Amino acid sequence: MTPVTGLHHVEMVMGTAVTLDIRDPFVPAGAVTEVVEWLHHVDAIFSPYRDDSPITRLGRGELQRNQLDPQVQGVLDLCEVARVESSGAFDVFKMAAPNGTTLDPSGLVKGWSIQRAAVILESWSAENFTINAGGDIAQRGSPVPDSDQPWRTGIRHPAQADKLACVIAARGTLAIATSATYERGEHIIDPRTGQPATELTSVTVVGPDLTWVDTWATAAFVIGLDALVWIERHDGYGAYAITPDGIVQSTPTFDRLRIS
Amino acid sequence: MTKVSSGLTNGQYTGGSISTRWGPVQVAITVATGKITEVKTLNVPMDRTKSVQINNHATPILRTESLTAQSATIDNVSGATYTSTGYAASLQSAIDQARSTSATVSA
Repeated sequence: MTPVTGLHHVEMVMGTAVTLDIRDPFVPAGAVTEVVEWLHHVDAIFSPYRDDSPITRLGRGELQRNQLDPQVQGVLDLCEVARVESSGAFDVFKMAAPNGTTLDPSGLVKGWSIQRAAVILESWSAENFTINAGGDIAQRGSPVPDSDQPWRTGIRHPAQADKLACVIAARGTLAIATSATYERGEHIIDPRTGQPATELTSVTVVGPDLTWVDTWATAAFVIGLDALVWIERHDGYGAYAITPDGIVQSTPTFDRLRIS
Repeated sequence: MTKVSSGLTNGQYTGGSISTRWGPVQVAITVATGKITEVKTLNVPMDRTKSVQINNHATPILRTESLTAQSATIDNVSGATYTSTGYAASLQSAIDQARSTSATVSA
């Protein structure tokens, strides 16, 4: 096996673990520092767990939308795009947020912030890396720089944490995100009804941009199997869904990446 | 974050477009008494006529398709890990530990 070089870092932030796996041999450690600072900055602004975050204050009505930083307003605009595009299956203003408000943009912010983190790494001339934020992945290049070798990503088996349901392989730019309820008691609320979504156990979305891949994974979990056609209609996006009965449905864009 | 006074003039405005993967999207706002009172999204472009074939594997995955990480060499796991406790017990955590022995670990 070829010796692996590069940089590897796991940061606990945004309530989960973010793994940076950079395979380029000469990327300075400052690249990792900038990404880590970015992620903590995002957490401080958007966290619905923090009492003093602008998002918590907006949710409580202590701040108006037009008093927010333009970047935060831009994210809320993207959330609005997602709400319209998903016909309300994704709606950050109809959530049961941990701070007691109904505003929780986390379902878009995580993907958006990791997509931006990938751009930060690219600005440091990194070309071969993955960023994995609690199962939401942005990848670039190859695990072996200057080779054709694809990144291989296992999709977690819903019933067995140490097993995989399938494996996909791709070289170059790709985003992958999974929404799931593995344990009894876990749930994802359908904002249209206020009730937990139950049609799927796990859904994985692939595509070029993690902002939308992550957002559509959440929306697809709420919509159910009908979401697969909806996702495949977006150019370059595909999906793979597992029902509580263990039935699997997937779209052609996803199947083209699948190797086992 | 700086708190700024609104300075918004009442009326309806169409904002600059947001670039999305499937084309530009515009947001329109309504301002009343110096505050944004309504936000509307215009022109979400999507080809709703594209025909899509879905593959329905009627085989229960739970019996037939569980792979071990050893049998499928992988770089990452995509799964829903909502907590740091969930991460600690995850396959991804094990992969990270293995990877950190062969790469420079940034502290």
